[in-house]
Amino acid sequence: MTEAVPLRPDLFRETPEGPTLLAVRCKSCGQVVFPVRDLCLACRSGELTMIELGSDGELLCATTVHMPTQATRPGDAVGYVIMPPGVRVFTQIDKRGDALPEPGTRMKLRIAPLRTDGDTEVLAYRFAPAEEVTADA
Amino acid sequence: MRDVFVLGVGQSDFGKFPECSIAELGRQAAQAAIADAGIDAGELQAAFASRVYEGMITGQTVLKDLGVARIEVVNVENACAGGSTAVRSLYKDIAAGYVDVGIAIGVESMTTSPIAGKLIPPARDDLDGQLGMTMPVWFALQAQRLMQTHGAKPEDFARISVKAHDHGALNERAQYRKRLTVEEVLGSRMIADPITLLQCCPNTDGAAAVVLGSAEAAARTDAVAVRIAASTLVSGDFTFRTADLTTLELGARAAAMAYEQAGIGPEDLDVIELHDAFASEELVHYEDLGLCPRGEAVGLLRSGATALGGRIPVNPSGGLLSLGHPLAASGVRVICEITDQLRGRCGDRQVPGAKVGLAQMLGGVVNGLDAGAASVHILTV
Repeated sequence: MTEAVPLRPDLFRETPEGPTLLAVRCKSCGQVVFPVRDLCLACRSGELTMIELGSDGELLCATTVHMPTQATRPGDAVGYVIMPPGVRVFTQIDKRGDALPEPGTRMKLRIAPLRTDGDTEVLAYRFAPAEEVTADA
Repeated sequence: MRDVFVLGVGQSDFGKFPECSIAELGRQAAQAAIADAGIDAGELQAAFASRVYEGMITGQTVLKDLGVARIEVVNVENACAGGSTAVRSLYKDIAAGYVDVGIAIGVESMTTSPIAGKLIPPARDDLDGQLGMTMPVWFALQAQRLMQTHGAKPEDFARISVKAHDHGALNERAQYRKRLTVEEVLGSRMIADPITLLQCCPNTDGAAAVVLGSAEAAARTDAVAVRIAASTLVSGDFTFRTADLTTLELGARAAAMAYEQAGIGPEDLDVIELHDAFASEELVHYEDLGLCPRGEAVGLLRSGATALGGRIPVNPSGGLLSLGHPLAASGVRVICEITDQLRGRCGDRQVPGAKVGLAQMLGGVVNGLDAGAASVHILTV
């Protein structure tokens, strides 16, 4: 049986409201940093609270990648999604057929297999246009 | 701090030379720089060398074949800005009075490197890299933003590559001396939308070297001494503090520090060499270097101001796009080109009467930072 493991710990989790990305907020200066770490990069405080960024974002920009990379096949799309409170997240993107979603499109987080390592499925986050995720549900 | 001068510059051929060792490429450049400086190699008191891929004691490996041993040799790495870092490190040692004359060398053999034939990969555990981030992807996303925020068109990006190849066609050292049309650039294979193959720099083997010296050392040679009026090197800031992809804050910061150090402004520049691994990024550097107000880089390009014959020619050498990009060599090579421009010996690609030039280099992409390193040197005669 195939085992599914996240790409790295504390990257995302499932909640009753759906998946969420995880980040930290500094108790001292308020800076939010993704992904989770044990030190505030802005003020170097170690007093951090893990927070949920939720699953909603807005597409800043995207590109279709036409050569293979470590994690994508030709034709796959990647881009940046801005999540409240302004966190810029690099992510793989679900296209609409062959078309890239437009900048400004409302995007929804989903958790999906990134690759398979032997019998282990490695899970990562990606984003799809929000209406498509809603329609699938 | 003492004044520091470029006494000599040298460059190997740029191209694909898998049969050519690091020692041989480096020797070509170092030997040329030493001869250009009019000194004996035995006068070198220190050396800084840079290489990204791979191996150890690059500087010693190069210099031993020139009969140079025993001196202090430091090997540095800073991605594509490694060569600039070597130059700056030597600059600081001379300015501080530790040594009077030394050499900085950048050398790269991409065709024999562990990543030969591959993209420059991020670190294995880099989160963005694990999700598909590569250099062309990052610059493609920046180009996408330039189209949204600046009204840039794919034709503009293509025009930058056409300009680089027009310049490179005039440079006998360029890897690709073929002139291109906008249609040819746009029609080449798509790499990451909107970046096509002919908007990407090639993989290149090559080396560049500069001999620097104090005023006293300069006075002992017949070489036309070019003063380093500013030398800066900064690292990137966290992406949560950077507003957008259309400015590289570290590049703007390195430039602002350099202008302050030199006591000049961007309006005083006659010629510029900068990092154009991907054509579209040149627009970002126009604004980060202050060549035009924010938002007006596309207009500056379209005006022709940054082509040879324009107000402020950028990359008369052909840049990384046409001349080629042996990673650690490029940061030294841009200083070689500016030196040659200020000495008036660039032949068909000479910027007439150039007295003040700027050499910029950028290095490295890593999750969480806007880039790894940026360096700016301002040279004057």
